[in-house]
Amino acid sequence: MNNYVKALVIVIVCMAILIPFASSDPDGLERVAEDLGVEETESQSGGLMPDYTVPTVKNDYGSTLIAGVIGVFLVLGAGLVLGKTLTKYEH
Amino acid sequence: MHIPDGFLSLTICIVMYVISMGFLFWSWKKTKNSYSSSMTPLLAVSSAFVFAAQMINFPILYGTSGHLVGGTFLSVLLGPYAAILSMTIVVIMQALFFADGGIFTFGANVFNMAIIGGLSFFLVKALTHESKSNSRFFFSVFVSSWISMVLGALACGLQIGFSPLFSAAGGIVVTVPTMVFWHVLIGFGEAIITATLLTQLKRMPSTVLSSFTSLRGGLD
Repeated sequence: MNNYVKALVIVIVCMAILIPFASSDPDGLERVAEDLGVEETESQSGGLMPDYTVPTVKNDYGSTLIAGVIGVFLVLGAGLVLGKTLTKYEH
Repeated sequence: MHIPDGFLSLTICIVMYVISMGFLFWSWKKTKNSYSSSMTPLLAVSSAFVFAAQMINFPILYGTSGHLVGGTFLSVLLGPYAAILSMTIVVIMQALFFADGGIFTFGANVFNMAIIGGLSFFLVKALTHESKSNSRFFFSVFVSSWISMVLGALACGLQIGFSPLFSAAGGIVVTVPTMVFWHVLIGFGEAIITATLLTQLKRMPSTVLSSFTSLRGGLD
């Protein structure tokens, strides 16, 4: 198997293993905002998978895993498109 | 570290868009002048890895968490300019589909994570100083990724501190030290993960990751 495909499989497997252990505590910026009493307003865009969940999937783990896998392939696809575009300028 | 919409004033959003677009344009020009198609799989897979890693928050202290940003990771793998573009892709997808980071604040988020992260390449390069030693490399990446996290937090602290929502709560006098404090700690997570991963990748035979340009050539 191609090394890059292997790496991608490892990324997805590690993500599947680590999702249950991920901390749901606020991150640094959210913590600063909370401590200062600043409320996070609902995002205008919302996004199809807000906070890395698929709203139609009820199971928390499944919902995050599906959102994560979709995200990985979205970024992978965008990376391939970027690479392809840059290749047009290859000397 | 992802600033949601609503946190920044419109002026700061616009200023950060202009600054980031300037850097992106520069990075695009630099990347296309030296790009080889053999880099594409590495670019795509490493960006996908960074997206996945950013989803996994690790606990820090007192109920606060952090996650890998991965700017230094990408910059050592891809070089500074392609790393800036690669991280920008991640930030775009997060803002468009996952409500992680806003649309108006996109310029600021790109600056704090993609641009500062990508430019940390030059710090890694200065610290390794053509040394081939693995421990020197580990140290250089450790320090650079930690600094890029703290600088990103400093920039974020300034951006929110100058915006009305936070200036009412004390402004930069409060936001900068608190942002820096948490990210000094989160930065150690960033540094340990980045330095460990890159040192392991550097040890792999060059045939495994053939397009590993900047890392193989003593960070040229």
